Amino acid sequence: MLKKIIIIGVVVVVAIVIGYNYIYQDHRDIETETAEFILSSNEITNHFSSDPTTAEQKFLNKTIEVSGVVSDLGINEITIDDNIFCQFTELNQDAISPNSQVTVKGRVIGYDDLLEQVKLDQCTILK
Amino acid sequence: MKKIALFIFMLISVSINSQSKYLTKTGTVNFEASVPSFEEVAAKNNSVTAILNTENGEFAALALVKAFRFKNALMEEHFNENYVESDEFPKAIFKGTISDFDFNKLGTTQNKSTINGSLTFHGVTKKIEIPLTITLIDGKINMSGNFKVLVSDFDIEIPKIVQNKLSNEVLVDFSFELSKK
Repeated sequence: MLKKIIIIGVVVVVAIVIGYNYIYQDHRDIETETAEFILSSNEITNHFSSDPTTAEQKFLNKTIEVSGVVSDLGINEITIDDNIFCQFTELNQDAISPNSQVTVKGRVIGYDDLLEQVKLDQCTILK
Repeated sequence: MKKIALFIFMLISVSINSQSKYLTKTGTVNFEASVPSFEEVAAKNNSVTAILNTENGEFAALALVKAFRFKNALMEEHFNENYVESDEFPKAIFKGTISDFDFNKLGTTQNKSTINGSLTFHGVTKKIEIPLTITLIDGKINMSGNFKVLVSDFDIEIPKIVQNKLSNEVLVDFSFELSKK
């Protein structure tokens, strides 16, 4: 009898732990993910400007690596070659300077038609 | 002589054009659809693009749906996959005109106004009128305000099981600091 109670108790606890971890699972950690695509800024913008729907299916929500020249530098964001917008959780200003060559890893969140830019978030600077 | 006049005219018109657009790439749009005593249903997007044409008050804002971040990762996943289907509808777009817009009347005092336009989200376009305040401080135009939309208006289905934990009325607030382009 006691054995049964213990077994039931263990099962319940395990179920609660699994359930809790499922409901309160961690966010994706883009920084530790390996990039699925490695391209230049112009390559990815060409995909989006020529065929937005296919490009969205291919890149949306994917972790990518993009390289190019820093054309604009903000508090927590940079723009590469005027066509890739990268948002950082925390941008280390010392690690970057305008007009320098840069490679950034981030998640594709979509294409901004207004400015004709591809947007990335949760970016990190690789070099 | 004519050529010079034309050239000067072109130069002036180019400079006017370049001065009439104010924009931001890091505007904020938050929404909340919480029900009291249940877990908070709220998300933040701080990479919204917004452009204001100060000649005629025309305004456009584009929020990428995947950029809405929730505290709870599972909620974010469900939001994207089951509710707003962000793979199929990755953008939320507002286009409108600020009523009686006059750039010269802007100042540091809060200027109440309304903007009339249409909001496209989840494949549905709806006409909407939004009250907002506009200020011009240090050469930057600040636009902020809030409005309510109904989940049901945008063809988003809420499963019965979560219906009492999720409000049909969604409070959206926004804040844009636009700089001269």
